[in-house]
Amino acid sequence: MISTGNDIVALKAINIARSKEHAFYSKILSVSEKELYDQQFAGEITFENFLWLSWSIKESAYKYLQRITPELVFSPTKIIIKHLLVPVGDTAIAFGDKETEGCGFVNKTVYEGIVEFGNHALYSRSVIGAEFIASVVNKEADFGNTCWGIQKIESKESNYQSKAVRTFLLNRLVRLLPDTDLHIGKSQNRYPILFNRSEEMPIPVSLAHHDHYVAYSFQLK
Amino acid sequence: MTREETLNELKTVIAPYTTNKEMLNSINDETDLIRDLKINSANLVDIIIDAEAKYEIEIDYDSADKMINVGSCLDVITEKLNQK
Repeated sequence: MISTGNDIVALKAINIARSKEHAFYSKILSVSEKELYDQQFAGEITFENFLWLSWSIKESAYKYLQRITPELVFSPTKIIIKHLLVPVGDTAIAFGDKETEGCGFVNKTVYEGIVEFGNHALYSRSVIGAEFIASVVNKEADFGNTCWGIQKIESKESNYQSKAVRTFLLNRLVRLLPDTDLHIGKSQNRYPILFNRSEEMPIPVSLAHHDHYVAYSFQLK
Repeated sequence: MTREETLNELKTVIAPYTTNKEMLNSINDETDLIRDLKINSANLVDIIIDAEAKYEIEIDYDSADKMINVGSCLDVITEKLNQK
């Protein structure tokens, strides 16, 4: 079964002071992940960015796995980041005025991770932009068939976010799948499903929104 | 503290994080924090931390995982208050 999972964190919406409090970050990071930061990342990225990078990877992994195990409960400290590589060279994402889209990632320009939950191991790719952190996970290290998009939106109102992310995704999919009548529904367990008219499409999709940012991912075979 | 009193205090904990303020007045056990109250998942940890401070309790990981709707939040808070 193929799946996909993504997440986005709007950096202007996070509480930096609270992110540094043990009571807060210990509900997101495992002990081993805190050690990973202290030993490998303290000079590379700020703690709050590491925390929310970790959150976005874990949330992406949860969304990926929820499609396979619908009754799964999101438990951040039980989804463990085992490995994380900091990008080298030019890591600036070509964001344009307000959006960027692609399939796959250029090697070493994004954060590359391995995340585990129980006996599941997933690969992650993450981007830290000026105003957001976005992640996507996949069961293969090859993200060539993993397509994604990030967009800045006008309003953070929940209905606006929900409509904006669906429109953003569908506009991309319509370009790839002309002569279709696509729409997005929800499973009983609330994960999004892509339909062509009444037929469920074999393309898993994932949606995320936070504050003034939305993001999607989908997985092609 | 009765369940109703706990619920009234819980509303003040949740209020800063919901964009669905109208629904806050009519929440019940089945009200889902994300789906109904439109709380971003990134704020669920804030709610747990604020609840810990409000009720002077400690919410462990397994209990925190259960706090997905108002009823489960009240159950966890009541359980922790009874353990004090």
